[in-house]
Amino acid sequence: MDMEPLLRAINLSKSFGTLTAIQGVSLEVYPAEVVGIAGQSGSGKSALCMLLAGLDAPNEGDIYFDGQRLQYPFRARTLGIEVIHQEPDLAERLDISSNIFLGSEIGWSLVVKWLKVPNRRRMDKEAAGILEQLNVHFSSLREKVGNLSSEQRQMIAIARTMTHPSRLVIVDDPTLLLSYRYQQKLLSLIQTWQQEGTAVIFSSNNLDHLLAVTDRIIVLRQGRRVAEYRTDETGREEIVAALVGTTDRQQLTPIIWALDSYYRARKQAEELRHQRTLLERDLAAQDTLNQQLIDQLGKQVNALDSANVALQDAQRRLLTEREQERKHLAREIHDQVIQDLLSINYQLEEIEVDEHVTSALKGKLTDIRESIRGLIDDLRHICGNLRPPTIDSLGLGAALQSYTHEWSKRTGIGVTLDLDANRGRLPETIELSIFRIVQEGLSNVRKHARASAVQVCLQHTSPRALMISIADDGRGLPDDFDLSALSAEGHYGLLGISERVALLGGRLKLQNQANGGLLIQAEIPHPRVAQPAGGL
Amino acid sequence: MLTGDKSDLFKPVRGLWRMLVSRHELFVFVLLLAVGTALSLGTDTFLTVNNLSNISRAFSWIAIAAFGESMVMIIGGVELSVGAVMALAGLVSALCMQAELPVLPAILAGLMTGGLVGWINGTLVGHVKLPPFIITLATMSITRGAIFGLTGGWPVRNLPQGFRALGQHDLTLGTVSVPQPVLFMLGLAVLASLLLEKTVLGNYIYTLASSERAQLVSGVNVAQIKVLVYTLCGLLTATGGLLMTARLGVAAPTAAVGYELDIIAAAVVGGTSLFGGEGSILGVLLGAAIMQMLRNGLVLLGFPAYWQTAAIGTMILAFILLDHWRRQSR
Repeated sequence: MDMEPLLRAINLSKSFGTLTAIQGVSLEVYPAEVVGIAGQSGSGKSALCMLLAGLDAPNEGDIYFDGQRLQYPFRARTLGIEVIHQEPDLAERLDISSNIFLGSEIGWSLVVKWLKVPNRRRMDKEAAGILEQLNVHFSSLREKVGNLSSEQRQMIAIARTMTHPSRLVIVDDPTLLLSYRYQQKLLSLIQTWQQEGTAVIFSSNNLDHLLAVTDRIIVLRQGRRVAEYRTDETGREEIVAALVGTTDRQQLTPIIWALDSYYRARKQAEELRHQRTLLERDLAAQDTLNQQLIDQLGKQVNALDSANVALQDAQRRLLTEREQERKHLAREIHDQVIQDLLSINYQLEEIEVDEHVTSALKGKLTDIRESIRGLIDDLRHICGNLRPPTIDSLGLGAALQSYTHEWSKRTGIGVTLDLDANRGRLPETIELSIFRIVQEGLSNVRKHARASAVQVCLQHTSPRALMISIADDGRGLPDDFDLSALSAEGHYGLLGISERVALLGGRLKLQNQANGGLLIQAEIPHPRVAQPAGGL
Repeated sequence: MLTGDKSDLFKPVRGLWRMLVSRHELFVFVLLLAVGTALSLGTDTFLTVNNLSNISRAFSWIAIAAFGESMVMIIGGVELSVGAVMALAGLVSALCMQAELPVLPAILAGLMTGGLVGWINGTLVGHVKLPPFIITLATMSITRGAIFGLTGGWPVRNLPQGFRALGQHDLTLGTVSVPQPVLFMLGLAVLASLLLEKTVLGNYIYTLASSERAQLVSGVNVAQIKVLVYTLCGLLTATGGLLMTARLGVAAPTAAVGYELDIIAAAVVGGTSLFGGEGSILGVLLGAAIMQMLRNGLVLLGFPAYWQTAAIGTMILAFILLDHWRRQSR
């Protein structure tokens, strides 16, 4: 970018006593850019945000905002820097609207700004408007914020940044206190800010959130800036590798395979480590028994981890290879067998038109050619199942449309297909997996559901996640349904879906609907796609 | 509308914590009436116009300084140099008038001196972030030392009549004559109340002790508020000092020695919390009144003079315990 950066931090360092929180971090933020900051807890994310927001002075280094050195921290807000913290910083004894307008009260000024008399009615009105935008509702805006829940308080802290237009919003992982709904609200708010030309620094522990809204991601490890990625050109694997500081694939696979369990594992490891440091501090005399116990635990966890990794790795290879095999097989059948059959058919036709052939033989030849044509059709159908031909050329949408149409004709079950218009092309593996999921889902409906209609739906739940739902009006899952028991009974349909979803790092939900039918929902994250030029 | 009728009922009393303070004011008021009634019944001399006017004049400058002190305490600070500042402000004015300066500029010089000491305290507390107790203890010493240095230990006498009138004249309103310092005190009480209750600055002052971080995040210049409050305290204290000097007609180097404790006591008895965040001008006014009334009553009752200080101290202790108990029961 040729533009001047809005914020430029040069070589920032900050330590608290002997603890170094930030060491030599430099970064630039351009107008209307969303910069993510990733890091494990304790990596200095919050300390960096405090410095950038002017709430703390660095031991070393300078911060320039809009070309001017940020010397007086309290001026940050007047310059247009807003900050949302992990824990909401509110004046407990003031009510909701006073908190939202704290420092930027509306009112009648008497000579100097300090002597302003607040206009409570107008402040209440504007606060109500902002809270409406955020979808937060209070019975009275005169409620003291000390009496509210932490989620409500966090939303008030968010509302506070919206009282006047800002140039840079520093969002320091406030999602911990927020429910899913408000987390999504915050993400869309960040996108709105970006569209309005406001720059955003978004520090988060949640890679999904970072990947969804940022343009760049800066990774901190132990107070140092270790990597920077353009969000469009990176993925979980790379970021997690930078976060953890290892590129060993064996360690990384489970992380990519299922991020949820990764976070859980990390948290446990974190707790273990925390407890170990606590123990170490307490037992200065080195209680060896405890130490051994912890080591053993750690080893066991490691052993479990690597066993798991090997399994998942094998599974992943298996599925990929199966897909390759299918592709290969389809090509073989299409290029070899079908071509051969066609040429045999052609030769038979040659014989048929020969004048020496009797009419009885002609009839037989026609029969043989009929059955060869039938065979070719069958083979083409098999090919199509092995490797949908349209998916490579026309994309997922077209492939799904043609497949469901054909399936519906074949089975007599009505299919309605509802595709997100803003869909664009996804990477080949993802498109293929989605196709397979739908394919397996439909075949499950045909085999077990006794349904008369199916609804297949592809919708974006966030800019970088696609929700596939397959809903039928059949008899649904039995009460004692157990996904893991299916393979023992030789049913691989739903199991296959769950494996594919897990491979893509997505989430799968199976549930019976109110009308009894089964609803399969698979949410699959994917890299950001360019908006399609139009249509399918 | 979002604002129900219920909150309008308490409009002047913003929420529960202000309500508690107002309850405290009521409590002090009732106590004041009770002590007054007891003294009226117990002595012949208490309920006379002369005595009452003496009492009110005597506590007026303490109260004015206590307005400033309570603001400092509400933001979680403490100001120990108030007594010395009262004396210094009076002395500077007196010295100016001795140097043949007209009364008005001399008064302004006194006020500026008080404001300057407050500003220095505020800057050290607000910007340099030093503990107020130590800072103001040091400035108290410096100020008191300066007073002795300036006078050589001798009082400044022969102040012009125009200046002494400020403290000595009474204003006759109908049948009652009210001492002028009392009118000053009432006027400043109204102004200070308006500042604390109605303005944005008042809001900041009340919430600073408990929510300094919220104000920082909101872009409020917390250090500047502290400087402002300490300066305001210096100005109010100087006003009290000038009225005291005008009343006594002499600027003595030992004037107002120990007043800092009386002033802090007036604020505490009036419901200003030692932990910040709570207090009101009305309460401080009542606190100063009850203190002076008790002092006066002890004299009238013939209580040994040496024990008076102990009695006042006991009362302060009782009110601090009350403050503590109210905090715990919340």
